Amino acid sequence: MIYILEDTINGILMGSIYGLTALGLTVIFGVLKVINFAHGSLLMVGMYAAYWTVALTGIHPYLAIFIVAPFMFAFGYYLQDIVIKPIFKAEKDVREPITVIIVTTGLWYILDNLTLLVFGPQYRNLPDNPLRGKMLEIGPMLISVPKLFGFVMAILTAAAIYWFFQKSRMGRAIRATSLDREAASLMGINQYKIYNVAFGIGTAAAGIAAVTLVPFYNVFPSVGVLFDIKGFIIVVLGGLGSIGGAILGGIIIGLIESIGPQFMTATWTEAIVYGLFLVFLFVKPSGLFGAKYDW
Amino acid sequence: MPQNVFNKAALIGLLALAFGLPLVVRSATYLHILVLVYLYAYLTTSWNLVGGFAGVLPLGHAVFVGIGAYASTILFLQYGISPWIGMVVGAIFASIVGVLIGLPTFKMRGAYFALATIAFAEGFRVMVENIDYLGPFNINGPRGLQIPPLDTGLANFLFSTKEPYYYIILVMLVVVLVITYMISQSKLGYYLNAGGEEPEAAMALGVNVARAKLIAMAMSSFLTALAGTFYAQFTLYIHPKSIMHLDLSFEIAFIALIGGRGSIAGPVLGAFLLRPVSDFCRIYFGDVLPGLHLIIFGAVLILVMIYQPRGLQEPLTRVWQHLVSRWTTNAMGRAGT
Repeated sequence: MIYILEDTINGILMGSIYGLTALGLTVIFGVLKVINFAHGSLLMVGMYAAYWTVALTGIHPYLAIFIVAPFMFAFGYYLQDIVIKPIFKAEKDVREPITVIIVTTGLWYILDNLTLLVFGPQYRNLPDNPLRGKMLEIGPMLISVPKLFGFVMAILTAAAIYWFFQKSRMGRAIRATSLDREAASLMGINQYKIYNVAFGIGTAAAGIAAVTLVPFYNVFPSVGVLFDIKGFIIVVLGGLGSIGGAILGGIIIGLIESIGPQFMTATWTEAIVYGLFLVFLFVKPSGLFGAKYDW
Repeated sequence: MPQNVFNKAALIGLLALAFGLPLVVRSATYLHILVLVYLYAYLTTSWNLVGGFAGVLPLGHAVFVGIGAYASTILFLQYGISPWIGMVVGAIFASIVGVLIGLPTFKMRGAYFALATIAFAEGFRVMVENIDYLGPFNINGPRGLQIPPLDTGLANFLFSTKEPYYYIILVMLVVVLVITYMISQSKLGYYLNAGGEEPEAAMALGVNVARAKLIAMAMSSFLTALAGTFYAQFTLYIHPKSIMHLDLSFEIAFIALIGGRGSIAGPVLGAFLLRPVSDFCRIYFGDVLPGLHLIIFGAVLILVMIYQPRGLQEPLTRVWQHLVSRWTTNAMGRAGT
């Protein structure tokens, strides 16, 4: 019985971290209406950035957030500005810019393989990790401290982004653009700048997720692929564009992954995750909290 | 001579060159490379039926390759059924799977279809990698299946030299190109085109867009699975990571996109241009700069999407038209276009 409780808690913690990684994806989709296939690679870039920040300066891994998050924001901002904006401009009248998906897929490949080329395929983890294996004891249960921190970061980041969108001027502009691009530009909002900012926020969220992952997850060039695919599943489960949905979707996946192995082999839990994804796609593609778009 | 006669003559000349090549090129290595180029041209042209004509973005096509390969190989190794028959069985199965994927997702945004294909492909691959026995079938999980090169001969789809494989894949490529051409000229082709550009208008005219896309998907998955069997018989070893990997799906999609999806010559052109790049990078830079060819593909893809969204075949076709118009007469009997 205690094991189920421990598994459940671990599932929620890890799931919230998954949700954090998917947070940027859902924000980018909500505003730009494109699924950023390169999101996993951006997460990977963030992880390498966090790794090198800590390895070169020796600061505490969690303090690296203050360096990695702004760096990732700028990275995402300029990535959108230089690479993706021309496609948007070319496809202004098309209902769904499929070409952007193609471009982000190309970006995924370039980033992954460039990293492979430059940094090599070896798995890395932090050499002097003050958090390695740290556990919190609550009664008979062992809770992993890095994951607990990840949970806290996920909730804080989601809340911060939500608050930003609701209260700040730029946030209102972003929401306006996501609801109706033309009307927003008629109001004087520069939609391309909004896209840049939204992409930057999404990438920064990935950067924060990366910082929480580095203490306990290995860093290697294809680490993004797994999170990319999980991220898609999470945002479809939770509803594309919904911030709370991303965290909730992540928690669902986390629970399945931690409780599932008690009853069946780990590979079948993966199959269940994919199966759930397909079921949602077919039955309720707008997810739990997503808005109903006209298909 | 008139333009269309010239084009036809050029096509026949090209075919003669392709069929006659093994008489001149004797090295097994070069033939092997050519076989792979034709294989990719075949795969991308089959992909084009859905990705180009139907206007959606399937990013998990390798799963059909895997289905075809595993179906024919299992039937051959365990029950001694000729791979030719196994080929068709696998293709039918792949076709059903393709329709199953397409049924719910074609009604949704393009991105959802792309996601569904990725999820399906990855899910399938993970399952095959971890299962040893599925009912009476020995799948052998991560160890893969090996075909012992005994009993060579046409009946068993096993040959000791490269030439028969070369001719088989060449014929397959020609057949798939002919099918593509016939579709593009048929009602189905027009339905797909209309559905891809303006689905609402097409539906208002009475075109059943969803059904047209499903037909295209069924055909595409069928043809792709045939290539899976060919690959299995050619390399004699299949393994989930090599046959059903996301990398393969993406490579097929990238090549077709760079070459020009929606056109007939585009995917073939893409394969002929890009596969040698891939092999070249692997041979000369393999240990020093791994994955270089994928970086190049990705960069070329992005540049092509920004500047030539219809693919490289567009400027190349224009150059060809320009050259041809100087040497031939047009339909009115005058020189030039």
